[in-house]
Amino acid sequence: MDCSEAREHLCDLNRGRLEADAAEAVRAHLTQCADCAALLQVEVRVRALIRAQAPRYTAPPALKARVQDLLAESAPPKESVIHGAAAGTHGAAAGTHGAAAGTRRTAGPPRWRDWLRGHSWTAGGLAGAVALLLVVWAGWLWLPRDPVSLLADGAVAEHVEYVKATMTRPAADPLAVMREVRDRVGFAFEPIFPGDSQVALVAGMVTDLRGRRAATFVYRDGSGRYTTLFLMPEAGIVIPDEGRMPIETFKPYHRVTSGRELLLWKQRNLACLLVSDLDQAGTASMFLKVRKSA
Amino acid sequence: MENPRTPLPTEALSHLDALYNLARWLVRDPVEAEDLVQETYLRAVRSAHQFQPGTNLRAWLFQILRNTFFTQYKQKRRGPETLDPEVLDRLPHTSGTVGVDNRMAGPLDGTAGLDLTAALNRLPEEYRSVVLLADLEDFSMGEIAAILECPVGTVKSRLFRARGILRQLLRDYAQ
Repeated sequence: MDCSEAREHLCDLNRGRLEADAAEAVRAHLTQCADCAALLQVEVRVRALIRAQAPRYTAPPALKARVQDLLAESAPPKESVIHGAAAGTHGAAAGTHGAAAGTRRTAGPPRWRDWLRGHSWTAGGLAGAVALLLVVWAGWLWLPRDPVSLLADGAVAEHVEYVKATMTRPAADPLAVMREVRDRVGFAFEPIFPGDSQVALVAGMVTDLRGRRAATFVYRDGSGRYTTLFLMPEAGIVIPDEGRMPIETFKPYHRVTSGRELLLWKQRNLACLLVSDLDQAGTASMFLKVRKSA
Repeated sequence: MENPRTPLPTEALSHLDALYNLARWLVRDPVEAEDLVQETYLRAVRSAHQFQPGTNLRAWLFQILRNTFFTQYKQKRRGPETLDPEVLDRLPHTSGTVGVDNRMAGPLDGTAGLDLTAALNRLPEEYRSVVLLADLEDFSMGEIAAILECPVGTVKSRLFRARGILRQLLRDYAQ
């Protein structure tokens, strides 16, 4: 065995992962070659040092909760997790798995089969009915559980909480609010819409939106209608192609959740989510103010 | 959306800390590391139907993490402070970066954890990943080759060279 071959095996020799014959051959070479023997010492010491002293980072609980959510969403429908609206106040709501998991409910084909068995339908009619039921069931089961729906449910629930919490709050100093949120949120964002003669910025905070850290800003117009803006890192958020609403040259994703208008779009590496008490036209106008401010 | 009903094995969650650890070493920023890990699991969930049950889930997840890092973070993260892997890979295998001289016999003990972190961060990502996967995660050379999608010989030579570079860097720090 030459030096080149021996050196290639040093790491496996040190880890006891070499076949007996090969290990023997390397050791035989090491007894004859001081250079390679010294390199084995380097291998042993550096590996030991790394194992003893290299910092090991542990996943934060919020990340664990998010991953658990992701995995729960991919679970088969038989033991599926049905997500309700994210209850609770900001900060704590989605940070724990328990809050995010919602109500567990068992639903599955056996139940439908038992029910159908009790009816004397024709085979064709039965098959059609089963297919229809499955479509309805699958829609009911899957539609509320896609990530955007979960985000929307969470955002609206948070929005309602903010409205309650900021009812009596006067307009805030936009620069101070932005500075405070930027210092605490852990990611960068461009200056946001500071408010104008029709809409005032009343609060800014760092929140957890379904386990995602979000820079959150609450606006109120002259009629006491609220709009909440969430800014989050875009990673992991896929905005559906369907359901886009053209607003001037933009096409944000649009939906109505629990009676609130909701717009979702990406801008400068951030996902931006707007929830509003305003009607569709009012929300679109608000969107333009926010979109064009950054 | 492809085959959304294929679940990932429940074991997937048990690799979270190890994945996050590598993510932190790769992107060095806690928030970006979280994003990287979350994106890794998202991709894994979407590709769950491609995973062969009974094969190495852990290595598969690490491979996704590394690919995600490669496509999303690597270009902006490669800083001038790391050594150039192109140069290192061209060096002869049996000599050069390591060298064997009297200094190699010196003690390797007085290095604080911080110095070790700095030294590891000086390694180019291709080398740092090999070291971390081999030493902290105990992957075999074959598994690392699969994760990094390169030949086993390349993994071995990178690990070998990384040892020498670390030895040199740690001695520099200690002086």
